[in-house]
Amino acid sequence: MNGRLRHLGLVLAALGYAWALGWVFTRSAPVVASRPVTIRFAHWQIEQGPPDGMKAVIRRYEELNPRVKVEQVLVPGRIYNQWLRTNLVGGTGVDLVEYGVWLDGMTDIPARYFEPITDQMLRPNPYNRGTPLEHVPWVQTFTDGLQYQRVNAPSPGQFYCATMTEVSERLFCNQELLRAILGSDRTPQTFAELRALFPQVTAYAARTGRPIFALAGSRDNASWLLQFLLQGCMMQVSQRNDRYGSLALYNWDALGHYLEGRWSYRLPEARAGLTMMREVSVNMKQGFVQSLRDAATQEFLRGDAVFIFAGTWDGTSLRSQATFPVEVLRFPQPTPSDPVMGPYLYGRFADGGGGTAMEFYLNKLSAHPQEAVDFMHFMTSVEGSQLFTNHSGWLPATRTVQVPPAIRPYYTPLDCYSFGAEYMMIGASVNMAIMRNFHLLVGPQGSVDRFVDAMEAVMPAAARTDLYKEMTNRSLIVRPQDVRLMALAALGRRAPQNAALVLARERLECAQTQSEALMLKMARQLADAGPVK
Amino acid sequence: MSSVPSLPRCLCLALPLWLLPLGGAAAPASADLNQAWGALADNRLAEAQRVLGAAPSTRPAQLAWAVAEMTRPPVTEAHRRAAERVFQELARGDDEVGAQAEYLRARLHQLHDVPADETGAAGLYRALAARRPHSHWAQLGLVKLALLELYRRPDPADAAADRLAPAEAALAQIEEPALRRDLHLQIGQAGVALQQPLGRLLPHLVAADRLGGLTSAAREDLIVQIGVLSLRAGQLDQAQAYFARYLQDYPANTRAYTVTQLQEQIRRRRAQESAP
Repeated sequence: MNGRLRHLGLVLAALGYAWALGWVFTRSAPVVASRPVTIRFAHWQIEQGPPDGMKAVIRRYEELNPRVKVEQVLVPGRIYNQWLRTNLVGGTGVDLVEYGVWLDGMTDIPARYFEPITDQMLRPNPYNRGTPLEHVPWVQTFTDGLQYQRVNAPSPGQFYCATMTEVSERLFCNQELLRAILGSDRTPQTFAELRALFPQVTAYAARTGRPIFALAGSRDNASWLLQFLLQGCMMQVSQRNDRYGSLALYNWDALGHYLEGRWSYRLPEARAGLTMMREVSVNMKQGFVQSLRDAATQEFLRGDAVFIFAGTWDGTSLRSQATFPVEVLRFPQPTPSDPVMGPYLYGRFADGGGGTAMEFYLNKLSAHPQEAVDFMHFMTSVEGSQLFTNHSGWLPATRTVQVPPAIRPYYTPLDCYSFGAEYMMIGASVNMAIMRNFHLLVGPQGSVDRFVDAMEAVMPAAARTDLYKEMTNRSLIVRPQDVRLMALAALGRRAPQNAALVLARERLECAQTQSEALMLKMARQLADAGPVK
Repeated sequence: MSSVPSLPRCLCLALPLWLLPLGGAAAPASADLNQAWGALADNRLAEAQRVLGAAPSTRPAQLAWAVAEMTRPPVTEAHRRAAERVFQELARGDDEVGAQAEYLRARLHQLHDVPADETGAAGLYRALAARRPHSHWAQLGLVKLALLELYRRPDPADAAADRLAPAEAALAQIEEPALRRDLHLQIGQAGVALQQPLGRLLPHLVAADRLGGLTSAAREDLIVQIGVLSLRAGQLDQAQAYFARYLQDYPANTRAYTVTQLQEQIRRRRAQESAP
């Protein structure tokens, strides 16, 4: 009996051991990692397209670099800010981080957590060997030369990130529905033609009893449209306020100008933009301001709206999921004879215009900064960017990449003005105030006057808060630069033959001086403005 | 019963700690000092201090220790004061370390004090320039001092006062081309902010461009800015030259369209001027 039991015990132990072995070798992580280095990058582009594009890039990169494993971390936009801040503060942030200067309440992030990549940007991308960009400095391989990222860099003169795609805003049109309403395929070419279409859509909806609207509505899509219209209507103001002659207003410019009384939402130009927004919004579903972009996308895909105004970032989702042909149009712009905007029209205004996005920053605390930058090099190389474009349906940010014909309408030709300022996302407090009061403009009982009164009541404080934040964010960068400057000088003295150290110190001194001048300028503007009266 | 009743107990305990950085422990080897500066260049402050030890004895090592202490997290007044004590001591020396320490004292007053002590910083920059006018740190300090003077409030009582003159005077003392470039650029930019005549500020922007070496947005902004301000000042040839350069260097930037329209404006003005 005892012998039998002992035998059974041994058999069970052997079976257990065999099962454990099988589990270890088939189900769990490898006992010895075949790739000693793992880098992770995170982004919120979970629309259709980009995750597949990045997956293709990773697959090829891992073929070329057998010792590195790359993980793509997809984080929904709704929780991205909290997720990112928590991980960065806790020291568990990913190596490469997608970031945008417009993210609410996140303006301190670059200064605190991102590492400049200036030296690498000024040298050719090694993965462009054998291509026409072989000898071109990395920064110049981007279609826009990273213009927005340079403008928004926490330290002037420094490069911090690399971009994956070029974006624009377009009007996506349900061609079948348009034909059913108009009896023709002719799309509106001017704002006047769009305006003329609105009553026809309303009449069609009444006639058929279907809940059809001219534009699919959501808080997100409408706010993009407001941004676009305000920027257009305010171009004369932007041009008038361009004291520095840089043909572009930075956020701190717009905030400072507000405190100096150089613009407000009461200006006739601003009111024209708001009036046009109101005009368009009454042709969206009532209550749209409560819903987010997914709701507008669904409305359009159900065939309940003729158009949707969206960024090209939604293009792949819209076109691949629609059961009808989708045409991509540039938003019909007003002409000088337009009764609302005509008197203030400066010219055709930008609806994209070459800026690139989906920008990745290097985490200062990355355990593998060299590998992370190497992966950035690959993903933005001609080969990497071609893979991304082919698999995502998004425009490339890298020059010389072949663009599939289907997405060529996303390109914005150089035929329009842009002065940068869009009078909305110029600071977290201002943007929050706009979104909080948005319903006063586009809601059923809304009006331009109600919105303007509400905004002007809060703007003096909001503009001060945001300008102060712009200033203090820079001080977060400037202080530790003294440490680095001293270190570069000391290392340079010990290796006088190393010219790169001298150059790095000179560049850093230059960038730091520019930041300090900006801080002093902002401090002066705040002091001149005084406290809110 | 305390043997030193005149001093509070906590002070007795803390005093030796204050003196540690200036104390007489063994000097770190040159390789260690290199490693410490390398760590500081990468913002690894704690690692740098670990390499240097608690009480570095050589002047360069003491400087490195205090540089780390200046911004070591958590940033506290105690760290700042400890760093300043070391800088103050080192600044007495007549070498490069002394110049760096004196410069850093001014930086502490300007950037690390809450609220900032700009008057104190300005005094220290001036003293450094007077004592060691040819030191890089004195010259860099003159650039920082000029910035403080350019944006100083309240404005001089004399409304007609030349707001750029003090910074231009500092320019005469600066020998290093890169620092001259930086100050020219800032005099030009401040000239716009302070609404000085274009004829006064434009030459500074042009000088900054000619000295070269600017990167990123600063370079791009400067080229377009000189073009636009030259056009406003009626210097059409200069405007045209800078616009052409902008389009050549930044053809895809959204500003390129506006620049081509401004070129057209110049052509029209020229045609009008040459019309009989």
